[in-house]
Amino acid sequence: MSQELKDQVTPITRRKMFQSKNKSLLTLRISASILGFLFIVALFQPFFYTADPAASDLSLRLQSPSLGGALLGTDALGQDVYSRVIAGFRWSLGIGTVGTLLGCFIGITLGVSAAWNRKRLRIVLSRVIDIGISFPYLIIAVTIVTVVGRGFWPLALTLGLVCWPTIARVVYAETLTLREREYVTAARLFGIGSIRSIFTHILPALRPTIQVVAAFTFAELLIAESGLSFLGLGAPLGTPTWGNMLNESRLYMESAPWMMFGPVTAIILAIFAANLLGEGLNAREQSRSTRVSQ
Amino acid sequence: MKAVGSRLLQLVVLLGTISTTLFLLLRLSGDPAILLAGEGASPETIDAIRADYGFDKSLLQQYLMFLWDIVRLDFGRSLVNSQPALGFVLQYLPSTLHLTFLAVFFNSIIAIPAGVWLGAKPTQRRRKILSTVVSVAQGTPAYVIGLLLIQIFSVWLGWLPSIAGTGTWAWVLPTATLSFALAPNLIRVVAASVEDTTRQDYYRTAKANGAAPNVLLIKHSLPNALLSTTSLLGAQFAFLLSGALITEYIFAWPGLGLILVQSITNLDFPTIQATVFVVAYLVFIVNLLMDQVFRLADPRLRRSQL
Repeated sequence: MSQELKDQVTPITRRKMFQSKNKSLLTLRISASILGFLFIVALFQPFFYTADPAASDLSLRLQSPSLGGALLGTDALGQDVYSRVIAGFRWSLGIGTVGTLLGCFIGITLGVSAAWNRKRLRIVLSRVIDIGISFPYLIIAVTIVTVVGRGFWPLALTLGLVCWPTIARVVYAETLTLREREYVTAARLFGIGSIRSIFTHILPALRPTIQVVAAFTFAELLIAESGLSFLGLGAPLGTPTWGNMLNESRLYMESAPWMMFGPVTAIILAIFAANLLGEGLNAREQSRSTRVSQ
Repeated sequence: MKAVGSRLLQLVVLLGTISTTLFLLLRLSGDPAILLAGEGASPETIDAIRADYGFDKSLLQQYLMFLWDIVRLDFGRSLVNSQPALGFVLQYLPSTLHLTFLAVFFNSIIAIPAGVWLGAKPTQRRRKILSTVVSVAQGTPAYVIGLLLIQIFSVWLGWLPSIAGTGTWAWVLPTATLSFALAPNLIRVVAASVEDTTRQDYYRTAKANGAAPNVLLIKHSLPNALLSTTSLLGAQFAFLLSGALITEYIFAWPGLGLILVQSITNLDFPTIQATVFVVAYLVFIVNLLMDQVFRLADPRLRRSQL
């Protein structure tokens, strides 16, 4: 009887598994290609310009969008909104990338060392992570930016310096379970040192988790960066960034609403793609782990 | 009591770190007297500030003086209007708290029922609604929502005012902005925890004993589900104190966020520092309250603490 039942049951679960795997792969592919395209835009931005984003022509100020002229209209200085949105890609994605890399570096270092150590260091570090998580980091970023000034590198490094607590917590929790795995214990019994074990056994196993958090952190930093620029605390005034453009558009909401729509679309698209990537990676990881356990 | 102690330690460490960072950054980035005096200050003003803040003393002495001032809650005078910075900041506290409470309240009365509805019977369609709502809303920062709401309701329709201080209706758009920003997350967590309770043993037992669906939901599922929601509400309250920063700026709302942005634009360091301290203190209070609510609400925790 059991053989018969198995024949009936297995195909269904397998098909289901296949479907869910396909779906998460689809999400992954879509989001990765959107993000990839956005990065290509950021890297090769001059090819996408229809006008010089810095060139202003006051005779063309506040023009509404048109196919023949400015695609997304012009702003109060007669600058082309479309080209400025394109120019904003390099700024936003660049800051997001640098900040995420720095945040991951700090978060992984703290998380792994907190989980690996069994003594006082763990207590201290996990407290530090707790404190970092409980406090809204935007406030700290704002305060640091005040002193170090505006610009690409100050902003990117500041955001990287404050965004690590979430990463650290996730890495900490994951490392705690990983270090109890048999192969890690076996390695320890064979006399493999902590450092080598962390690099050969822990970090590779952490990779999928880190990919997921990194994608979400990237999205979060895009929000933080454009928010700071919007407040006039991020990019120097006049730089073509989405936050700056939104801030400028506030004065012309009545006469030139199109000044807002370009940057809003770009922000939402970039954040959406990054979040989707995170979800896709997460789904792939989960379907993998269920397959292993089956 | 132990929980209070550890939270208090957290607060002290946090405030110590922030103020030390600020202290070092200010000293590293050139002459702090010039920075504090602002651009275009006369040499006399700069000298006066230097003597006033003791910048002519050694770094360690300065640091100790600085810490002592903070312990006494003396942040110096605002460089813009020369009021004591802390008092100046505290004037703006009620309006921020008011907005925060309204946002948390409206957020809860919208998101909790929605979450319960989505989580109580996790059908394919409801799951789809949930994931769409969450992924769309996650990708929309609060200030984008705020700007779009202003564009639609103030500029195009002309129904609601977009600037603070113009009567009761001025509350609507800021509250809506913050609620929109917070609701998706809350909906997701409520739905997930309601769904989680339906898989518990005690729930299955109650169901097998023939409890009616409504009784199951209200008596067996909700209390446990809302417990895990409480911690998110606390985190959201903390987030609001910084998320409201941008919202307050958009709506020219006279609160802590607006003060922080203004004092940063004016490089008014005493006020910046006082604001950050007030926010940190508020977060501390909220976390402490949440700990207590948790202990009151969860008998298991209460027993283990006793």
